[in-house]
Amino acid sequence: MIRFLVGEAFRDLRRAGRVAVSAIVLIMLSLGAVGAFLLLSDNLSNAIASWRDRLRIIVYLKQEPATGGAAALVRRVEALPGVAAVQYVSRAEALAALRRALGKEAAAAENLSGNPLPASLEVTPSREGATPEGARRLIERLAALPEADDVAGGVEWVDKLARVQRLVTLVGLGFGAVLAVAAILTVTTATTLVLHARRHETEIMRLVGAPEFTIRLPLLLQGMVQGLIGAALAVAALAIAHFFLAPRLGPLMAVALGLGEVNFLPVAHIVAIAVAGTLLGALGGFMARGRSEA
Amino acid sequence: MITLDRVCKVFSVGPVKVPALTDVSFRVAKGEFVILHGRSGAGKTTLLKLLYRAETPSEGEVAVLDRPLARLKGRGVAALRQNIGVVFQDSKLLPGRTVYENIAFVLRVLGAPRGEITERVFDALRAVGLHSRARAYPAQLSQGEAQRAALARAIVRRPALLIADEPTGNLDDEMGAEITQVIREVNAGGTTVVFATHQARLAAMLKSRVLVLDGGRLVKDK
Repeated sequence: MIRFLVGEAFRDLRRAGRVAVSAIVLIMLSLGAVGAFLLLSDNLSNAIASWRDRLRIIVYLKQEPATGGAAALVRRVEALPGVAAVQYVSRAEALAALRRALGKEAAAAENLSGNPLPASLEVTPSREGATPEGARRLIERLAALPEADDVAGGVEWVDKLARVQRLVTLVGLGFGAVLAVAAILTVTTATTLVLHARRHETEIMRLVGAPEFTIRLPLLLQGMVQGLIGAALAVAALAIAHFFLAPRLGPLMAVALGLGEVNFLPVAHIVAIAVAGTLLGALGGFMARGRSEA
Repeated sequence: MITLDRVCKVFSVGPVKVPALTDVSFRVAKGEFVILHGRSGAGKTTLLKLLYRAETPSEGEVAVLDRPLARLKGRGVAALRQNIGVVFQDSKLLPGRTVYENIAFVLRVLGAPRGEITERVFDALRAVGLHSRARAYPAQLSQGEAQRAALARAIVRRPALLIADEPTGNLDDEMGAEITQVIREVNAGGTTVVFATHQARLAAMLKSRVLVLDGGRLVKDK
């Protein structure tokens, strides 16, 4: 029975002809758009995660602690919520680091009258401390330390990057939603044409007492097949685009975002696109059925 | 098998009420061959539609296969129709399918086992004398052959009741006689038959019980 109903669905699909092809193309475009934005969003998310891992908050101290005082301060800061690790950097270590950073120009540091650099604590936030809200709370706690002179960290721009990522996802979903509505309407039109073409079959089916699901299922199935084909084509188009563009965009992404490579969509997102396509098609098939019965 | 008790059917066309059947009552026993005769517009098709629940009466009771149809819905209607074969004036064959596929189609939609389908289709085709045309498409058939294919489709499920609505209406006398003969043979196999025709000569020739409809009223039962 199922084999027969699937056969009927493919027969219906052939009947819908060009309209079915249009529906498949529209589903491909809508899911391709969503997929492209997802791909961008996933890579931004990877960049954000990578930057969060490397995120450090620097607490500049008013004065260098006395011997033994630094270790006690480190232990106090390590005990604060949102802190994963703390490293004390003495004034001398800071100057040595400056010299290393200056390289050939290190001689310039010799002209300094004494060591102007303050001692500091390099605080690595924990996972919760690296979230925008967690980082804000942690910075407040660190600034409240009596030894702290100033607190600096790269939290703001990671925050901004996270906002850009959310915006990209929203734009992608919005763009995809508009195209998805067009795709649903096209599947509905294709299915309505199929309904018209198969009205004699439907009449005979009702006349011989066919169960209602045998009448409805082929319509749903042909819509789902259109959706699944559209989704598969969207993923294929994205894979081809990724194959050709990723090597060219890789260096740019490395410089701009610190990403090692531009990754393709994870399996979960590919499955989600396939499921979304199938549901779009099914919805189109269902709506046509509703219209025909009205 | 069939009982109609004071059945009325009125169609509403805007504010206008058009009576199609008025106070029709009769019974048909199991295995009977009944001819429903009347001119075009007498109410024959409406009455037949009441039997396979394509229409519901405005008043009165209809029972088919000893089942009252008044409260029958959805699955109940489908179950009723699975025991009724219907043949129309036009064959209603599906043009994109062969004769074999047209007949197998109804078995497939009803979920008949694959192994049985071929045998049952050819049994039905042999019964109507059309087994040699199984691979032909409807466009390649004469009107008589198309009507026999439609008849094969109606009897392939071995229904308890066969409803024939002007099955010879589009055929010449010779082809009409062939179809009538096949329906007679189906009836001889135990199937109850209700045969509607506007052709008085055919009604007389069949020598069976005749119900005569005129203006939606049953005027004769002989």
